[in-house]
Amino acid sequence: MFSAKIVKNYYGYLFIAPFIIGFLIFGLYPVYNTLSLSFTDATLMRATSKFVGLQNFQRLFADSTFFTAVRNTWALWLMNFIPQIGIALLLSVWFTNTQLKIKGGGLWRMMFYMPNLMMQSAVAALFFSLFSFYGPVNQFLVRADFLPEAIDYIRSPAVMRGLVVFIQWWLWFGQTTILLMAAMTSISVAIYEAATVDGASTFQMFRFITLPLIKPVMLYVLVTSLVGGMQLFDIPFLLTDGRGSPANSILTSNIMMYMRFRSSQGHIGAASSVGVMVFIMTTFVALLLFYALRDKHEHAS
Amino acid sequence: MTEQQKTLETALPTDVHFKKNYLLRLNITRALIYIFLAILLVITIIPVWILLVNATRSTVEIQQGISLLPSRYLLSNYGILLSKGLDLPLGFTNSLIIALSTTVITVYFSMLTAYGIVVYNFKGKKFFYNSIILLVMIPMQLSIIGFYQWMSKLGLDDNYLSLILPSIASAGSVFFCKQYLDSIVIHDLIDAGRIDGASELGIFHRIMLPIATPGMFTLGIFAFVASWNNFFNAFILITTRDKYTLPMLVQTLRGDVYRHEYGAIYLGLAASLVPIIIIYFLFSRYIVNGISMGAVKE
Repeated sequence: MFSAKIVKNYYGYLFIAPFIIGFLIFGLYPVYNTLSLSFTDATLMRATSKFVGLQNFQRLFADSTFFTAVRNTWALWLMNFIPQIGIALLLSVWFTNTQLKIKGGGLWRMMFYMPNLMMQSAVAALFFSLFSFYGPVNQFLVRADFLPEAIDYIRSPAVMRGLVVFIQWWLWFGQTTILLMAAMTSISVAIYEAATVDGASTFQMFRFITLPLIKPVMLYVLVTSLVGGMQLFDIPFLLTDGRGSPANSILTSNIMMYMRFRSSQGHIGAASSVGVMVFIMTTFVALLLFYALRDKHEHAS
Repeated sequence: MTEQQKTLETALPTDVHFKKNYLLRLNITRALIYIFLAILLVITIIPVWILLVNATRSTVEIQQGISLLPSRYLLSNYGILLSKGLDLPLGFTNSLIIALSTTVITVYFSMLTAYGIVVYNFKGKKFFYNSIILLVMIPMQLSIIGFYQWMSKLGLDDNYLSLILPSIASAGSVFFCKQYLDSIVIHDLIDAGRIDGASELGIFHRIMLPIATPGMFTLGIFAFVASWNNFFNAFILITTRDKYTLPMLVQTLRGDVYRHEYGAIYLGLAASLVPIIIIYFLFSRYIVNGISMGAVKE
């Protein structure tokens, strides 16, 4: 019986083999290929390409639009993440509070999550229509006398940036709420009861019980949101002309990569270098966050 | 203990007053929270609602102002879309083919991989599982250029296989399945299957998969929605107009051909959202519970 089990354990390799093969072909090799392309002058128009060393990266660092794109990507992510986690914390505290007894918690949660499943390209086109010059937003504001005359939102960098942040927030706050709520409901009620007996205030319970115990989930939300946020594309790309207009205000690094890729020559070497830089930056920050926060958590417990 | 009891006893008359005050404050807080939630609900729903309503209104009506009630131009809007050459049914079919294949492949291979990790103790298993957790955090999508060029070399660019096959190795889904299987795998059942002479793959197919159906269903919904909504990869890889997926068709609605045909534009957008909205209202229980399943250990 024992020896039979040992032999059977080799079947584990059989079960994970498709994943490994799939990963090597569709995951790892493309990463390697992107990296090696970034050192060449490859285009879609020519069959051959030559090694140019770090030239693509030198050009990238000499190009101020690259820094604009990276800065935008970070700013757009941060500006939606902070209110997202803030509202999600507020909602999940309310929904899980045993004194408040908010009714229909499941139903609220379900409605708030709905935007997350919407097709982002359709959402971008929708908000483009809503905020177009003759669109419903202008109609409403002008007719209700909030505005003397219609505003050309699409040409306003501040409005467009705000809109991208708002749409991202709109898409994701429900999901974050569900995750934080799940984390909060998995905390034993006995801990709160004990704290109440000790005379802890609501805020103290939140600060010293809830927050430390939901930290792993907060970390998960933070890292996945960061990784997704650094790849922001659909919304800013489709909201205006696909070039991050007006005035590069919503140009993200992925849009820049796409623009290099679809340039007249199809500079895939140069496009790869953008991908590689963002890849390195994102992975570095994600791993840093993961280890920094994870270690602290292990010390605390 | 005694001190608290004492204060309770001596303060009995005023305590009623105190309690009333406390209840009043609680009720005001509660009312404010409900108002806040209602505002949030309006913000969540109104854009989608306006979209759905406008899909049924004529362009003239839409230009006249906002309405929250549907009109009766749904069919004429659809006629305009068709006359402008937007083949919505084709895009729908294309997206459906890709999404269904991706769903089946994601669910089957993620379950297979996770089962291998959960049931067998092989050398390097820990390293393999840790790598999967790591992969969840690595932005693989950024290698899309290298992926595109590699697919062209293999002759798979402008081919749905390049969108479907990568889901064989979906780290996030394996992570989800591993968490799920950990909680439902019964090792005695597997041993019983072995004694009955079933092969290892046979046990997985005939014993494990039927038990894991709820989890597979949840994962399937997520895989379907993710594939249905995926714009970036399809946008890079697919070039033939007849092969366009729904998100790609939606993007063409912004073009000059549809200028001022607002009703038709809204209808095109609505058509891509409605299937997902229906799926959501049918299966929201699975979806909402599934979100936290990967992240929160129960």
